Amino acid sequence: MAPMAVFQTSFLLALLPLSAHQSEVSSEPLSLNVSISSAQQRLHLKWSVHNLTHPELKMAFQIEISRINKSNVIWVENYSTTVQQNQTLHWTWESELPLECATHFVRIWGKEDDAWAPHQRVWSSWSSWVKVDAQSLLGQGPPLVFPIDKLVEEGSNVTVCYVSRHSQSNVSCLLHGQRIPREQLDTHVSVFTLTNVSFISTWGSNFYCENDPDIIAGAEPGTVLFVSKVLEEPKGFSCETRDFRTLNCTWDPRSDTDLPKYRSQRYALFESFSGKTKSCEQKNWCTWQVAQDSQMYNFTLIAENYFRKRSVNLLFNLAHRVHPMTPFNVLFESVSTANATMTWKVHSLGNFSTFLCQVELHGEGRAIQQHNASSQVDGQYFFSGLAPATEYAARVRCAAKHFWKWSEWAGQNFSTLQAAPSKAPDVWRSVRSTLGSCNVTLFWKPLSKSQAHGEVLFYNVATEFLGRPSSSKLFSIPAPATGTELSLDGCSHKIRVTASNSAGTSPASVMAIRDPGNPEVKEERIQGTEDGVSMSWKPPPGDVIGYVVDWCDGPQESSCDLQWENLGPNATSTIISSDAFRPGVRYNFRIYGISPESTAYLLERKTGYSQELAPANNPRVNISNLTQHSFTLSWEDYATDSQPGFIQGYRIYLRSKAEQCPPEFTKADLPDNSEGCKHDIDNPEQKTFVVENLQPESFYEFLVTPRTRAGEGPAHPFGKVTTREQHAHALIRTILPMVFLLLLLTVLCYVKSQWMKETCYPDIPDPYKSSVLSLLKPKENAHLTIMSAHDCIPDKLEVVNKPEGIKAQFPGARKSLAETDRTKHDYIYLLPTEKSSVGPGPGICFENLTYNQAAPDAGFCGPVPAPHTAPPGMGGLLTAPGNLLRSLEPSYMNSSGETPAGETTLNYVSQVASPTSGHKDSPPTNSLELAPRSEYRMQMAIPPGLASPSPNENSSLSSMSFLGPGEHRG
Amino acid sequence: MLACLCTVLWHLPAVPALNRTGDPGPGPSIQKTYDLTRYLEHQLRSLAGTYLNYLGPPFNEPDFNPPRLGAETLPRATVNLEVWRSLNDKLRLTQNYEAYSHLLCHLRGLNRQAAAAELRRSLAHFCTSLQGLLGSIAGVMAALGYPLPQPLPGTEPTWAPGPAHSDFLQKMDDFWLLKELQTWLWRSAKDFNRLKKKMQPPAAAVTLHLGTHGF
Repeated sequence: MAPMAVFQTSFLLALLPLSAHQSEVSSEPLSLNVSISSAQQRLHLKWSVHNLTHPELKMAFQIEISRINKSNVIWVENYSTTVQQNQTLHWTWESELPLECATHFVRIWGKEDDAWAPHQRVWSSWSSWVKVDAQSLLGQGPPLVFPIDKLVEEGSNVTVCYVSRHSQSNVSCLLHGQRIPREQLDTHVSVFTLTNVSFISTWGSNFYCENDPDIIAGAEPGTVLFVSKVLEEPKGFSCETRDFRTLNCTWDPRSDTDLPKYRSQRYALFESFSGKTKSCEQKNWCTWQVAQDSQMYNFTLIAENYFRKRSVNLLFNLAHRVHPMTPFNVLFESVSTANATMTWKVHSLGNFSTFLCQVELHGEGRAIQQHNASSQVDGQYFFSGLAPATEYAARVRCAAKHFWKWSEWAGQNFSTLQAAPSKAPDVWRSVRSTLGSCNVTLFWKPLSKSQAHGEVLFYNVATEFLGRPSSSKLFSIPAPATGTELSLDGCSHKIRVTASNSAGTSPASVMAIRDPGNPEVKEERIQGTEDGVSMSWKPPPGDVIGYVVDWCDGPQESSCDLQWENLGPNATSTIISSDAFRPGVRYNFRIYGISPESTAYLLERKTGYSQELAPANNPRVNISNLTQHSFTLSWEDYATDSQPGFIQGYRIYLRSKAEQCPPEFTKADLPDNSEGCKHDIDNPEQKTFVVENLQPESFYEFLVTPRTRAGEGPAHPFGKVTTREQHAHALIRTILPMVFLLLLLTVLCYVKSQWMKETCYPDIPDPYKSSVLSLLKPKENAHLTIMSAHDCIPDKLEVVNKPEGIKAQFPGARKSLAETDRTKHDYIYLLPTEKSSVGPGPGICFENLTYNQAAPDAGFCGPVPAPHTAPPGMGGLLTAPGNLLRSLEPSYMNSSGETPAGETTLNYVSQVASPTSGHKDSPPTNSLELAPRSEYRMQMAIPPGLASPSPNENSSLSSMSFLGPGEHRG
Repeated sequence: MLACLCTVLWHLPAVPALNRTGDPGPGPSIQKTYDLTRYLEHQLRSLAGTYLNYLGPPFNEPDFNPPRLGAETLPRATVNLEVWRSLNDKLRLTQNYEAYSHLLCHLRGLNRQAAAAELRRSLAHFCTSLQGLLGSIAGVMAALGYPLPQPLPGTEPTWAPGPAHSDFLQKMDDFWLLKELQTWLWRSAKDFNRLKKKMQPPAAAVTLHLGTHGF
């Protein structure tokens, strides 16, 4: 709408000034008139030729078009035509530059071009220049961009100009955000060339200019370019009829820009025989009315948009483009057990009454029959060879005689009628005879669908005692039972089994039963294969009409799930497979031969696995007869038959520190990848083994694992054993009597304890009672005697300040220490009256250890009486501060310069004989008083300044109390 | 101190704001109108983004600020601050009502032109909301006793395809329509906020100053 208005406005405005420039050049041979089509950027030229010499004359014209100024000729066109008197000639020129962008000038001249007038073949004079100045129409308004809202084809080049009022314009223009280089056409006009424009949006691509002060005055600073995709040729153009009244033509229109502002591409059908054209409303299909008398059609499909026109042709005979409608009224007639007739109808197509039809029969989801049939409006087909009591689906489709396309399928389902079962049931039995009666369990397999010919309603079991043919019994077992149990009087019976449905009864399955007895048939082992369990047997000497192999699918007797397989009389081997077979499960098979009398008798037993597995568990092994060099392994309770494979033997692994294997073993890599020894036992029933030639007192690990065809048992756990010591027996023989003697001695000592005490350790030893003396007397010299105080003649007696309370010192060591300090050292010196040597002599010195600190002062006993060190056990008397002091003791010892205790000379000390111990019952005081004395001496050992603080305040305080000035003397 | 507190509490029932009962007045409807303008502001932000993207650059560029060309028929939202302050309530509401009447009319024209179905749905939804705002403003005016402005004969806002507009100018008009609409919604929020405050009676403010003397 808007562009049209623009176009009209521009065109009208353009005509006004042109009228002023039109050159009514009657004097000139040609009169030229130029008009503008702004929207299409076209100049329309109209001219006429004056003074034609002939009513009709062939003429040649030359047209020159200049831009901006007359000398700048941009186009020269040669145009030839036949001119008549007073005829106005037309020619149109399309400018690549919008006409508003520059002034154009047009002129024309011509000449006669007829062969018979050669004298006239000279150019006439030029017409006057016609100035086409669309720019002047803009006046002094705001700047503008041309063309306004142009529709262009994708991939084309477009020239856009910007017309400004100012001579110096610094305008910058962009197309959809992309800056376009500018060319200055003249002082007011800038030109922009857009090359290979592409489709971006149906809303168009904006070309706009900025940075011009003119814009603020109000202008049209931009334009919208609508880009149309290139029109493509339609594909797949095809026409057909379904009713001989209407042709339906379809095609693929390919790409379509579908701009909302502009009409998208249009399609039309043109039929050349009739010359008719029809515009199509849809973009991909169109209908055409069939004419009664037309058989041939030649269609042209024309696609057109603003820029291009494309077309495709199609020539056809209407009879060859018939696409019949779907058949209808599909029915079945005369449906029996094996046959059915299908009928249908086809929509009439006037003269075309013969159709080619295709019928299909589907059963169980697949096509089982397919036939072609010629058909009129009413069609039918007879299906045969159908299975009874079966559901089928049949369908039909038709095409015209001249095949073009099949119609859609039309179908219907139907079922055939039931018939009597065609085959006797497959029956097997299990017989147990007890006390003259025979328990027979019958099993049968359900008939397949193709054999049952309908739903089996019940099974009939007729028994007949072989001795009395008239004594038959009939049992009817409703379906879907697959067996029954019969208790017969005696085993000699003939049994017939039939299956019945609503249409009849099947043939009978006959078997004769006899007492099975207890046939001695040895069981053989068989191997499983990938296909199943393979077995073979020897044909019996008598005639057989077949064989039966039966087995239990269930793993146990209680869940047997008896299965059987019938084999022909010539079979001597078979492979039994079953989905129920599981690896590692042993199955037992029985092979029966069927005699001509239909009696089954056991021929062979087989046992095997469909797939053997390695044992899942190792046997529990006991160790016995352990000696220095051997031990015995036994696994008696290992059940050989209940394993997931046939046990072929056992493997014993032995592992020890010894490098050599025992003689029966060989070196091998153990299952846990360590090195060891192995020994194989090939007899599966041997379940003991003596491991010999071992090292005494050595550690061995062993593993007993069973072997099947599939492999060994698990690689754990290893048992552990250590062989006995070599001298263990000798030691036991020695130690036991000694222990016995020791016990005897202890008992004896206990019984005679009083005597022992008096004899060996009396409370108060009596030298006269001592047996030592008596023992010595006869042997030693006679002057040895016991010294008596009465025998001593004292020459000097010195009593020094004998304390009274010295005995009461037990409650506290400190008090005794304090008293000790106040007390002078008390010694009773017994001085010999005779000459006494200065050094150590035979005189006996009784030392009171409590006061031995005085000894050095006295310088009496021994060479240098050393200070008594506390015995090892006395160290425990040190208190917490003492522990600290103990660490400092060596420094003290070194600094004191005293002789170490170990270097003290022998000094006989008899605590028992201490004169200070008043009674024999009082505990010896020296040991008790040593502790405080030790403490006292240790305290002296701490050098000044070394009394480091104890870890806690209490201990520090207690330590200081020990180091009080009152106690630091000495 | 205690005496002062008791005196204040004694006189509390005499404060007019705390003693009001009966008709709530135009306050709630002004508040609702204010809320609706804010909601429309939010809605327009999303719609304008989509629409300007369809128009393509430069219309969808954030700094595109062209001169107001060819949009003279649109009611102008910008006004001198002093003039805006001096507007009385009736004039203020009347200007709002007239502006949205025009804008709604133009917006419906925009909707008719839109090619994309999704865009048409969004525009229709927004037009419905804007119609609601017009009704809300009319309600406020009625509550305050102001008559609705009667359109002058011949100036009734109707949409018609512009005269010989180029596509570029048409896009420019669409741009300005959305921009003016945005400015009007912003101005209306200010207008109704001002009206809301004006209609609210001054709340009683009691300030108690508890000194620490004596403690």
